[in-house]
Amino acid sequence: MHWYIILSLGALVICLSFCLYHFFRLLRYGTPTDFSHRLGNISAGIKYSFTGAMSPSKKESAYLHLPTYSAGILYHVGTFMAIIIFILRLTGLRFPVVLSYILAFILIITAISGTGILIKRISIRKLRELSCPDDYISNILVTLLQFITALLLTGHVYQSVYYVTAALLLLYIPVGKLRHLVYFFAARYQLGYFYGWRGSWPPSKKY
Amino acid sequence: MMVNDNKERALSILSRGDGKLKAHLNSCVRCGLCAESCIFYLSTGEERYIPARKVDLVSSVYRRYNTLPGKLVPGLVKARELDEETVMEMVDLLYGSCTMCGRCTAHCSVGVDISYLVRIGRAMLAEMEMVPSTLQSTVDAAIKTGNNMGIPVDDLIDTLEWLEEDLQDDVGDPSAAIPVNKSNVSILYTLNPREPKFFPLSISAMAKIFYAAGESWTLSTKMYDVTNYAYYSGNLNEAREIARRLRDAMFDLNARTCVLAECGHGSRSFRWEGPNYLQSSYSFETITSVELISRYLKEGRIRLDKSLNKERFTLHDPCNLVRSGGIFEEQRLILENAVSDFVEMNPYGYDNYCCGGGGGQLAMSEYGDRRLKAGELKVKQIKNTGAVTVVTPCHNCVDQLMQLNQVYKMNVKIKTLAEVVADALIL
Repeated sequence: MHWYIILSLGALVICLSFCLYHFFRLLRYGTPTDFSHRLGNISAGIKYSFTGAMSPSKKESAYLHLPTYSAGILYHVGTFMAIIIFILRLTGLRFPVVLSYILAFILIITAISGTGILIKRISIRKLRELSCPDDYISNILVTLLQFITALLLTGHVYQSVYYVTAALLLLYIPVGKLRHLVYFFAARYQLGYFYGWRGSWPPSKKY
Repeated sequence: MMVNDNKERALSILSRGDGKLKAHLNSCVRCGLCAESCIFYLSTGEERYIPARKVDLVSSVYRRYNTLPGKLVPGLVKARELDEETVMEMVDLLYGSCTMCGRCTAHCSVGVDISYLVRIGRAMLAEMEMVPSTLQSTVDAAIKTGNNMGIPVDDLIDTLEWLEEDLQDDVGDPSAAIPVNKSNVSILYTLNPREPKFFPLSISAMAKIFYAAGESWTLSTKMYDVTNYAYYSGNLNEAREIARRLRDAMFDLNARTCVLAECGHGSRSFRWEGPNYLQSSYSFETITSVELISRYLKEGRIRLDKSLNKERFTLHDPCNLVRSGGIFEEQRLILENAVSDFVEMNPYGYDNYCCGGGGGQLAMSEYGDRRLKAGELKVKQIKNTGAVTVVTPCHNCVDQLMQLNQVYKMNVKIKTLAEVVADALIL
C-alpha cells in the first residue's frame, strides 16, 4: 500500500474517531430536560426544523440571499460527494468512464460554488471582519478536495496529491468550524425540540 | 475590575455537560446571513450588531478554554481570553444591542439558538457582577419589595379600591369586585407593576372581562408581579427567587390556574423558564391572559360587539409570547371578534420584528438612543398598515411603542388586548 493511502487512512480514522466521540458525547448528554408543561408537538417541531424551516420559502437567511443559499447547498452536496468518493476509492471501487465524467462535472460546479463563497467572504467587509483564519482554511481545503476529486476522476492529477489533500481535510475537520459536520444536526434537533415543545414550530397555518 | 473567582464561575457555565449548549456553541459557521434578521443591524447598518458577532463573543471564549485548538493556537480559530476587553464588549453587545427576540435564531442558516447563547453570555456577565446597574436596580427592587417598581402594598390596595368603584359604575353592579387575597379561587391573576403605577385602566379592562365571564379570581398583594427582570440580567438565583415567590402565591391562595398578565417576557419567564429555574413542574395550570380571553370567546362566556371598535387596528406580536411562546392564533381570534377593521403588519406573527423594547432594554436607560433607533423598523411597519390603533398584549411593548409614537410622531393609539376586548364587551 502506498504511503499516501496509509496517510489518508490514518487521517480518516482520526477524523471518524473525533466525530464519533463528539456524537456519542452529545448522545450521552441526552434529550433536553424541560420542566415546563409542553404546549406543542416535539416530533413535529424537530421534523419541521430539518424540513420546512430550512426551505427558502420560510428561512429569511435563504430567501434574502438566494445565490449564496444555492451556492451553499451545491457546495455541501459536493462536499459529501467528495467524501463518499474518497471512501469508495479506499475500498478499491472505480467508476465507469461516463459516470466519472458526470461526477467530475458536478464537482467542478460545486467547487466553483465554494470558490464563490470564499470570494464573497474576502470581498465583503462585514464578512471579512467576522472571519478568522479557520474560515478561509476550511473553505480552501473543502473546495480543493472537490476540484482535485474532479481532476482525479478524469485522470488529470497524481494519486498522491489527491490522497494528501483528502488527508489534510480530514485532519482539519476536528480543528475548526468544520466540526459543524456533527454539530449542525444536533443544533437543528435542539432548535426543533425547543420550538416544538412551545408550539411555535411547525407554525400555525391559520391566519 | 474582574475578580478571578467570578471569572472562574463565569467560565464554568461554558464547560457544563449540556447537549444544547455544546450543540449551539459549536455550530456557527460565521456566514453572516443572520445580519438581516436583526433590528439593530437593519436600523443602523453597523456590522458589530450582526448576531453572529454576538454568538462569536461567547463561543470564542468557549473555544479558548474548552477546545484543544483554542488552547494551542487561539489565533487560528479566533479563541478569546475572558479579559477586560472581551467583558466590556460582551456588556455592550449582549446587553446593549440585543433584545433576545429570537428572530435571528428562527432564521439562522444552521440553526444556532442565538438568543439562547446571548442569555448564556449574560449569565456569565451576571456571575462577574457586570450587569448594567440600571437593569440590576430593577431586579433589586423586585427582590426587595416584591415588585419591580417598588410599589408599596397600601398604594396598590388604594388603586385597586378606586378601580373597583369605577368598575361597579361602569357595569352598573355594586357587587362587581376586584378581589384581593381570596383563597380557593379558579384564577390567580398577575399584573405588570406598570399597570397599577401608570396604566390602571388595563386592570379595569381585565376586571371587566372577568366580571363578564363570571370568573372566580383574585389578585395577591403578596406577589402579583408577572415580570422577572432577572431573566434578562442572567442572574439565575434571582430569577429562581422571583419565580418561586409567584409559585408560592399560587400555593398560599390555593388557586387552580395562574393567569399571566399581558407581558411577553413575564409570561415566558414564569411559564417556560420558571419550572426550569425551580427544577420542578408546576402542579397548577399556567396560561396567558390572551389564551384565557380566547378560551372565554370559544366557550361563549363573553360576547363581543366588533362594531364598537370601528377604526383600523393592527397587532404587534410580542416576541416572547409568539416566537418563543407559541401563542399566535389566540390574539387573532380575539381581534377577529373585537374589531371591525384589522390589518396585519408585514412581516407578522413568528416573523414579526421586535419593537426594540425587549431584552431589558427599557430598563437600561444608557442604551436608550440605540433602542429608539432599533424601533424604526417597527415604526415603518405600523405606518404601512395605516392603522389608527396598535394593539399589543405586552406592557413592555406598550411602553416602547408609546415612546416610538412620540419620537417618530406616528399619531396612533396604543392599547393592550384586554382594553380592546373590554371596549367591545356585551354585558
